[in-house]
Amino acid sequence: MQHFFVAFWIAGVVTATVVAAPLRVVVSYPWIRSLVEEIADDQVSLYTLAKGSEDPHFVVPKPSHIAKLRKADLLIIQGASLEIGFLPPLVRQANNPAIFPGNRGFLDLSTAVSLIEQPQAVSRAAGDVHPQGHPHYHLDPHNIPVLARTIETKLCDLDPDHCPLYRKRLGDFLRRWQAKLQQWDQQCASLKGAKVVTYHKLYDYFLRRYGMQLVGTLEPLPGISPSAKHLSQLIQQMRAAKVRWILQDVYHEQKTARYVASKTQATVKVLPHDVEALPGIHSIFDLFDYIVKQLTVQP
Amino acid sequence: MDILLDPILLSLVLLGIHAYFGREIIHRGIIFTDIALGQFAALGLAIALLLNLENFSYEFAVAATLGGALLIYLAEFQKRFQEAFIGLAYAFAAALAFLLLSKSAQGAEHFLSLTAADILFVPRQDILHTAIFYAVIAILIYFRERYLRNRWRELGFYLLFALTVSSSVKLAGVFVIFAILLAPALVSHLLRRGLIFAWVYGAAINVAGIVASYYWDLPTGFTLVFFQSAAALIVFLILAFVRRSAGEKR
Repeated sequence: MQHFFVAFWIAGVVTATVVAAPLRVVVSYPWIRSLVEEIADDQVSLYTLAKGSEDPHFVVPKPSHIAKLRKADLLIIQGASLEIGFLPPLVRQANNPAIFPGNRGFLDLSTAVSLIEQPQAVSRAAGDVHPQGHPHYHLDPHNIPVLARTIETKLCDLDPDHCPLYRKRLGDFLRRWQAKLQQWDQQCASLKGAKVVTYHKLYDYFLRRYGMQLVGTLEPLPGISPSAKHLSQLIQQMRAAKVRWILQDVYHEQKTARYVASKTQATVKVLPHDVEALPGIHSIFDLFDYIVKQLTVQP
Repeated sequence: MDILLDPILLSLVLLGIHAYFGREIIHRGIIFTDIALGQFAALGLAIALLLNLENFSYEFAVAATLGGALLIYLAEFQKRFQEAFIGLAYAFAAALAFLLLSKSAQGAEHFLSLTAADILFVPRQDILHTAIFYAVIAILIYFRERYLRNRWRELGFYLLFALTVSSSVKLAGVFVIFAILLAPALVSHLLRRGLIFAWVYGAAINVAGIVASYYWDLPTGFTLVFFQSAAALIVFLILAFVRRSAGEKR
């Protein structure tokens, strides 16, 4: 009797693996993971390379990254050179042609949106400028629908059997997102003209969407640590412009921001740049809810 | 599992030559030469970036490392204070690299991405090239021991060590190299064994560290450094304790 059950169980497992064999998707950042979850639910197996609290430019490589990339059917990246510091060697070591750039199992989301600040001439003289343009495009909530659609199209291409499900879930997601967009747009209307300083040029898509004005950054140039002379000039500028907030990311040191705040009228707001960057932010909805709340609800 | 094969191969290639140099530098009491030379390599890279000669960054790194080795060799003439000199040479190279970068307007991010080495990333072809390169260095070491005398012999040691370090730090990072250089050499000295023992012992710990990094999914380089340094510290403390109590009994 027992043997019978065991045989039955094995048969079941084997059938399940053969029939289901879910698409194996590797994504670089948690916000992409959140979008894939919205569309595919648990129809795909998902693995995220970066932690939300990590500096997205530098992700510490681990053996599991190579193992997951080696078996992946689809790799979805943010692109615009954001992953240039860690992903190319990982993909090379994984040696899985399916996910090589340009192949069917590779999706660079930056190609779906129009990037701001594309440099006229690429030169390292301006610091760490990404040649394709500003890479942190996911922080404009109005960019999310086209990104979700791009992911759905790719999932349908690789896994046509589940396409109806993906399409249905995408529609559902877009409806909920549209409702949220209206709410956020309304709340953020008051932000128009607000003057801010950020540590890194990170939130520019959000600032541009809601008409906020970036007066300067704590970094003199992208990727270069704050220097005394630059900060003293910045403090003068901030006093003159009456800057309201210093927007601080979670992965750089915060001492500089607090020091500059103490010399000016500005207050420091620590904002997440990605899902899981701060506790309690588990989805792309949470991410923008948190950012909007931080900026619109008076302390 | 074959994800592990390349890092293990690389760690063994590195161990071969570094265990030899490690025994030598412990014997000479110039431990921090390695870290200082690694920093000189970074300084060379910073100079290349400042001059917008990124394509020649490796040549600059080698030249700066050889320059650093020459300085440390000259400090031999003040043997008593050589280690202090090496420490300052390290601080000097680090500070100068940082200052150059801040002026060159080259992102520190970019610099870090050039200096970031990870033992997981090295393709097999590079491992092969490195093995051949170290074989050549080993032959030169043999000639040095056989034919060079006095000052030339010493200078030869420093220059060959500089060539080795400027290539290996680029592949595996300064911490991994420091651990592979010192830990097996130290343990072999402590147990009064030779180079062969350092090789076998070091290889066993390397493999254990890399396999552990896979099973617990930890950053591979730092796991290897942890295993090498922890094992060497344990051996050191046990021996210190055992030999002390043995001494007391007598």
